[in-house]
Amino acid sequence: MSGYILRRILLTIPVLFGVSLIIFVIIRLLPGDPAVAIAGVHASQEYIEQVRQDMQLDEALHIQYGTFMSNLLRGDLGRSTFSRRPVTVELGERFPRTVELTVIALFIASVLGISAGVIAAVKRYSIFDNASMLFSLFGVAAPVFWLALMLQLLFSVHLGWLPAAGRGTWMHYILPSVTLGAASTGLIARITRSSMIEVLKQDYINTARAKGVMEKSVIYHHALKNALIPVVTILGLQFGILLGGAVLTETVFAWPGIGRLLVDSLLARDYPVVQGAVLLLASVFVFINLFVDILYAFLDPRISYSQESE
Amino acid sequence: MEQLSEASLQQGIKQREKGESEYRLVWKHLSRNRTAVLGMIVIASFILLAVFAPLLATHDPISTDLGNALQGPSSDHYFGTDELGRDLFSRMLFGARISLNIGLISVGIGLLFGIPLGALSGYYAGKLDLVIQRIIDIMIAFPGILLAIVVVTVLGVGVQNVMIATGIASIPIYARLVRGSVLSVKKQGYITAAKAGGMRDSRIVFFHILPNCIGPIIVQSTFQVATAILWAAGLGFLGLGAQPPTPEWGAILSRGRGYMRVAAYLTTIPGVAIFLMVLGFNLVGDGLRDALDPRSRNY
Amino acid sequence: MKRLFLVCVIALLIPAAVFAAGQREPEEVRQEIVIAMGAQPEALDPIAMASAPASTVGEHIAQPLIYLDQEGALQPQLATSWEASEDGKSWTLQLREGVQFHDGTPFNADAVKKNLDRFLDPESAAPYRFLISEITEVEAVDEFTVRLHMDEPFAPIISHLSHSFIAMISPASFADLPKGETVDHPVGTGPFKMVRWDRGEQIVVERNDDYYGDLPQLEKVTFKFVTEDSARVVMLETGEADAIMRVPPMDAQRLEGRDDIDVVYASSVRVIYIGYNAVMEPFDDPKIRRALNYAVDKQAIIDSILGGVGFPSTAPIVPAVFGHTEAGPYEYNPERARELLAEAGFPDGFSTTFHHPTGRYLMDSTIAEAVQSMLADVGVDVQLQTMEWGAYLDFVRKPPEEAQHSLYMLGWGTVTLDADYGLYALLHSSQWPPAGWATSLWADDRVDELLDQARITPEREIREELYEEAIEIIWDEAPWLFLHDEGQINGVRSNVKGLIHHPLENISAWDAWVE
Repeated sequence: MSGYILRRILLTIPVLFGVSLIIFVIIRLLPGDPAVAIAGVHASQEYIEQVRQDMQLDEALHIQYGTFMSNLLRGDLGRSTFSRRPVTVELGERFPRTVELTVIALFIASVLGISAGVIAAVKRYSIFDNASMLFSLFGVAAPVFWLALMLQLLFSVHLGWLPAAGRGTWMHYILPSVTLGAASTGLIARITRSSMIEVLKQDYINTARAKGVMEKSVIYHHALKNALIPVVTILGLQFGILLGGAVLTETVFAWPGIGRLLVDSLLARDYPVVQGAVLLLASVFVFINLFVDILYAFLDPRISYSQESE
Repeated sequence: MEQLSEASLQQGIKQREKGESEYRLVWKHLSRNRTAVLGMIVIASFILLAVFAPLLATHDPISTDLGNALQGPSSDHYFGTDELGRDLFSRMLFGARISLNIGLISVGIGLLFGIPLGALSGYYAGKLDLVIQRIIDIMIAFPGILLAIVVVTVLGVGVQNVMIATGIASIPIYARLVRGSVLSVKKQGYITAAKAGGMRDSRIVFFHILPNCIGPIIVQSTFQVATAILWAAGLGFLGLGAQPPTPEWGAILSRGRGYMRVAAYLTTIPGVAIFLMVLGFNLVGDGLRDALDPRSRNY
Repeated sequence: MKRLFLVCVIALLIPAAVFAAGQREPEEVRQEIVIAMGAQPEALDPIAMASAPASTVGEHIAQPLIYLDQEGALQPQLATSWEASEDGKSWTLQLREGVQFHDGTPFNADAVKKNLDRFLDPESAAPYRFLISEITEVEAVDEFTVRLHMDEPFAPIISHLSHSFIAMISPASFADLPKGETVDHPVGTGPFKMVRWDRGEQIVVERNDDYYGDLPQLEKVTFKFVTEDSARVVMLETGEADAIMRVPPMDAQRLEGRDDIDVVYASSVRVIYIGYNAVMEPFDDPKIRRALNYAVDKQAIIDSILGGVGFPSTAPIVPAVFGHTEAGPYEYNPERARELLAEAGFPDGFSTTFHHPTGRYLMDSTIAEAVQSMLADVGVDVQLQTMEWGAYLDFVRKPPEEAQHSLYMLGWGTVTLDADYGLYALLHSSQWPPAGWATSLWADDRVDELLDQARITPEREIREELYEEAIEIIWDEAPWLFLHDEGQINGVRSNVKGLIHHPLENISAWDAWVE
């Protein structure tokens, strides 16, 4: 088992290296001269040339990559071409904003999703089951920006309960995190439901029931614990996916997160910020995956760990 | 949307011999599942509307009439007109074609590259497996819609590029899925026997291994169609979607959001349409998953 | 179990209810406002500023020597007077006395020299260095006199000095910085001091109680950055923002019906045009270029897509710009368009491609679609091609041998309100890419001559005549399909008074108050 974990950790190194190479190459495939895009519509030729030089655009690709990597290894991601501030500082300001949003979103999604899933499983085929499963699909099936705009209209304009956009008080967190977590809520509810149904059919549950353990206790103490194993792994993956997918929610609610920073920088060809942000998100995601797989290995002793090495 | 961890995939896949009766059994189970039937009805209706769009459309979906812009639903324009006076009903009909195409073609791209990658990696194992696995890991490291955003920025705006971008983003999911299935099937006795009998590898993979993975692939594809449609809408929102005047639903929705307060139908109609289509595919996907899983079938 | 679910739902709803209750706090007028704008400044250090948001926020904190007011007149600010030498090769500016930067250091000729030298230093890489790059030496004549030297006369220099990017910040704030590095929080002389900048979210400024001019009534102004148009509108409606920029035209009509919101229509200095690639067939023929101008109904576009905001262009620059002459508009006349097409040898029209950005200018891609269908009416079959901005800009900025564009949409704001900035850059043949932004690759010897002459002539009346002749020729030769002069729509809560809605697309708060 510890061999498996060590192996998985070591394997993240080539992956992260690959990610850095891929993103480096991809953004250099972007159409258009980045110097022109960065210098903007009023820029002089002199300034465009200057940007080109500063960005080393005239150097051969492998030299550019070499510089990028050697700086990276020293923890230097370069400076934003627009704000001229160190990329690490920019990311340091924006990434926590997305993380806090994602954590709250997942918390809400777990509370709602797991409760709905458990009830649906226990009262299988009841109206509640069908209703909560349909409701949970609402979050999965609605385009997220549309959902965001409608929630904003309902809760800010018509009801006047919640602030429409921006960050500040804790109330500003509600709409963006509910929107961001909507799809996860549905997913978690459905997985909890099917996992719970599975567990409730197991022999030990029947045994417990036969022994006269109260139904409530059966569900809480015996079934839920085991049913949550797949849910936990999904939570981990959802965390990463939400980090990467937060850009739409961030845009509607003017949330100063890393998603919006990344897309703005991509469209404006701010190479250093794009590289830094993608690298950060990818690394976090890789480590979450790693963590989830290891956690799963602990939680579910049924998997074999030899397959990787076959 | 639906990404499963490697471990849980391997665990969930049950290999079995499939015959004519197997498919009948699946169908029987599926047709008894009320929500799945609902999903199938929804999808079938959209397919019919898409196929017969030219017959059903009341107007040219792209001809504009500025003097007749933003008119609410009426007997002449069932869904009203958009900001350029185009008939929304006709645009939605033709849009159904485009959105279905986006879903199907992007899944096609995912399958085309994902299955061979997964099969090679699972069947041959060893160094090849290690390399392919790392490539897949690298692709997966771009979370969520991020990879699609980056790809479409490189390729440029347009429906085809949206299909390619969402397709590429789904490759790693299929590759992992197929690899897992192959790993669990290839240790079976009949495979070993086929190998010993001197059967060619490609034959073994195509005729004996892949057919056993079809179930999970179909389930995943159903969800993937839904995801692609949603991502196309999201890309449209970021200004990276379909080329105007293409009546793609996501494009209509994200363009219509500017008129949300004065002409709500411009967002409500495409929003609900996308919602229903995605819902349909999700319901069918759920149903299929249940139907293909022998454990949940026997109740 | 159901109870558990209910409890959770309630737990999530309580905060909303609390907020709803909390909103009804007693009314007290605070001299604070929130302005929501579409994008964040990239920086507020003059050597890194490059966008309209930077200008909007920046001018509250750090000021240029000369102020360009909303009427287009140059007003004394940190410089009280200015005068050209006989030969036009140097300008002498008298500076205001008794002004202090926010850090308490004095504003004087030395400070001006240090600022301009830094701005001009190639190592600073200031994007807008070209504005004053004609200056060869900045001389501090005495404590409050500065003289700017140039090799050649350059008449627009004073207009250029009024640009808000050439703002004065305390030399002490950048003295110790390595070259090229920028200050995060500018220390200026303006009516407000910078307090904080939450990146991606907001910039907060507070009143500078030592301001040399009229003290602002507002104690605090918060600039919030809200990309999504509809979100800004909602914030205005809920009162989360007191003023918002760029109200979508359709929402403007709706908001006008509310008595707690004022919709402000202001002019802008930006023209929107469709350029022709004039070295490419058939656009090398002025008949074709005129024909398409007649084929597009600009008023209809303004009325139905832009909510009536804007004017059909009458020149390549807007009326507020010095040097403007009313040469147009081209009336909507599809018959005339067909005749001209026939005369040019295309009685059945032709096919071409039209590249356009999306989300860059007000309703840009919708306008492109409308133009497409209008051109189809006269037989010109246009294929639309949207490009994402980063790719688009480079695509249209190509020298003739590489150029692949035929029709393309661009906008240009003449931010100095001097015709030179608009005409020379876009229509002088020396400015063909890669040198500049004359992307339509059109050339006319007489126009070149007139624009050159107007650059070095200090007398304003003569310059005006030169520009008039140039504009008449440009209009007739039609290197562009002239669309419209963009307007700007801002929304303000009606209890907020005195905001300045500047044609340079700035909202200024120093004269504002809350009732």
